Amino acid sequence: MSVSKFVVAAIAMSVSMTALGAGSHGSGHGHGAKSGEPAKFPEGGRTITVEMHDNYYEPEAFDVKKGEIVRFMVENKGSLVHEFNIGTPAMHEAHQDEMMMMVEHGVIQGGKLNHKMMEMDMGNGKTMKHDDPNSVLLEPGESKEIVWKFTDKGDIEFACNVPGHYQAGMYGDVNFN
Amino acid sequence: MKTTLLSGALALLLPVISLAGEYDLTVDRVEIDTGDFVKEGIGYNGASPGPVLRFKEGEDVTINVTNNLDEMTSIHWHGLILPFNQDGVPGISFAGIQPGETFTYKFPITQAGTYWFHSHSGFQEPDGAYGAIVIEPEGREPFRYNREYVVQLTDKHPHSGDRIMRNLKMMPDYYNREQQTVGEFFSDVSENGLMNTVKDRMAWGGMRMMKADVEDLQGFTGLINGKGPDQNWTGIFKPGERIRLRFINSSAMTYFDIRIPGLEMTVVQADGNNVQPVSVDEFRIGVAETYDVIVRPRDDKAYTIFAESMGRSGYARATLAPEEGMEGSVPELRESARLTMADMGGMHGMDHGSMEGMDHSQMAGMDHSAMKDMDHSNMEDMDHSNMEGMDHSQMAGMDHSAMKGMDHSNMEGMDHSNMAAGGASDPFYAPGSGLVPTAANGGKFLSYADLKAQSPLYEDREPTRDIELRLTGNMERYTWSINGVKYEDADPIRLQYGERVRFKFVNETMMTHPMHLHGMWSMLDVGAGQWNPVKHTISVQPGTTVFMETEVDEPGQWAFHCHLSYHAAAGMFRKVIVEGGPESTKAAVSAQTTGVGGDA
Repeated sequence: MSVSKFVVAAIAMSVSMTALGAGSHGSGHGHGAKSGEPAKFPEGGRTITVEMHDNYYEPEAFDVKKGEIVRFMVENKGSLVHEFNIGTPAMHEAHQDEMMMMVEHGVIQGGKLNHKMMEMDMGNGKTMKHDDPNSVLLEPGESKEIVWKFTDKGDIEFACNVPGHYQAGMYGDVNFN
Repeated sequence: MKTTLLSGALALLLPVISLAGEYDLTVDRVEIDTGDFVKEGIGYNGASPGPVLRFKEGEDVTINVTNNLDEMTSIHWHGLILPFNQDGVPGISFAGIQPGETFTYKFPITQAGTYWFHSHSGFQEPDGAYGAIVIEPEGREPFRYNREYVVQLTDKHPHSGDRIMRNLKMMPDYYNREQQTVGEFFSDVSENGLMNTVKDRMAWGGMRMMKADVEDLQGFTGLINGKGPDQNWTGIFKPGERIRLRFINSSAMTYFDIRIPGLEMTVVQADGNNVQPVSVDEFRIGVAETYDVIVRPRDDKAYTIFAESMGRSGYARATLAPEEGMEGSVPELRESARLTMADMGGMHGMDHGSMEGMDHSQMAGMDHSAMKDMDHSNMEDMDHSNMEGMDHSQMAGMDHSAMKGMDHSNMEGMDHSNMAAGGASDPFYAPGSGLVPTAANGGKFLSYADLKAQSPLYEDREPTRDIELRLTGNMERYTWSINGVKYEDADPIRLQYGERVRFKFVNETMMTHPMHLHGMWSMLDVGAGQWNPVKHTISVQPGTTVFMETEVDEPGQWAFHCHLSYHAAAGMFRKVIVEGGPESTKAAVSAQTTGVGGDA
């Protein structure tokens, strides 16, 4: 194995390891706080449409009840890649490091996702797929949905963790009432 | 009847719909107190800096400028896209504003963001004639903040601009305190022995020593919003708030490295145009550039805005605090950057391709501007680490091809940290440059390479023409020029309306030049295609080649120059004429350009 190949593999491993960590955020770990869990959408449940623009959401806040299951229809109406991620501020901060790595390795390139790179088998069965249940990562024009159960009250935000976007203000509050 | 009614109704509505604002500015003699010294200068509405002009995108502005000086004046709206006869450059856009005269500028505001204005006459700008422009966008911003402050920097010098220029012309290193002195010769003698010192210096000829020219104007006091470091301009915040800071560098000559210890800064705009947000610990702001950043201080304490000059000869300081009077600690100035051989790599015909093991890290302030056709390709293992301030301007046609294994074993202080192999790197600095900035906390320092347009302003297309501009100069005579020709001897650059021109800047000097094209955008090539950032001022580092593209979409004639005041005045300046364009504007252009005089 050449040195450069080894370096790529090492980076890939570190990405997939941390990605795994992010995946387990959904069920909560370490922080003693969690943002809820994936769920099956019940009949008559509530749907919230979220538009992602450059670089902000519409709406910028919404209300939920403890235990409520909400379906989010998320659409990227901007011209850059954006994420919709439900988590605590600490979870977002941790995820931002991973997203930075995805940018540095060319997975996120402005308005494009390098799917080939995301799908690539890094040799240990792991990939740089962004497939955590609490988030979607969308190219311009793409739409996806998340069904999420807000199991407990907490300090929960929805946020885009593409580098710089959260800091520029691309986040919103989930208010419990 | 129906249509008449309709148009009548529209006519009634229109004045209500269209925004129009009228603003008055007086140009006055003012007193400037930096805390270090008090100095007479020039300001607007009785103060320097002048007021912050707040416009709204889509507004038609009328600005009445009354000249209360006993000399001609002018105001240039730096970065604004407007008809050329409103651009305020005497001799190019208009005839200037005579003493006692009121000139009325009228133009539509077609953009948003942070900009500034300044006199384009003589050295009135370094003497204090500048202010800020803030334009609110029609739609929402692509970022959020709770409050905002203009943070306008300058390098106020106790000498007037005229006097500085005279002194620089007389003695180019007049304001260079770092220069090597006779005393240093003797200290080298005591360290290295007389014979070695003499031999070392003799070996390289002329030996008129001159040191670092990272900055050729030292001895200033850095001001933020008109306040010196001890006067400490303070912006108030509530912990947890998001603050937009609109940094503007209105210095005559000084680049600043800016940081706020304890806060990450998210850069959201450069030169008035939104960029994809990038979070940094520190950034370098070139003369005439602007950067908007968002910070979020969460703690109930004071934070220091610390702006060190690139050459570390001075600083500006301000504070963000929950209450007036609170202060954060003020860091020490870091050590001065030193030019390396790499920073001179752009100079004429030199081939250093095969040199190895050389360390020139202590060499600085060298002028090799007249060297030609040198071939050093077989030099090896040289160490010149204590050479400083050499003048090689008379060398020509040298062939050192047989030199090998030179041993200057009594030299001390070998340092390879500035060579390409190690240390900091930035694609916009020469490989191995001594000027590459690093963040004080070891974190992220903004590079031009990080700047990507938030949304492309123009459709991306192939340039229709390339124009090479070599940035040239002779430090010995303090002449600065483009392609070796100074402004008064140069033909204008002629562009055709509708072209997309690719400018190639080749910096053959040892100084950084912030190049500013008036009237049309400069799209800096960072390799991001349609996402290349849209700027009005582009810094070109020593020994580097930088490309920018311009959509030639504004008829008329425009200024194009290095924004270092004394370089522009010395001749690093061009007139750009845009030929052709819509019929309606052509007539206006020819009417305007006849009988234009002035002092540009």
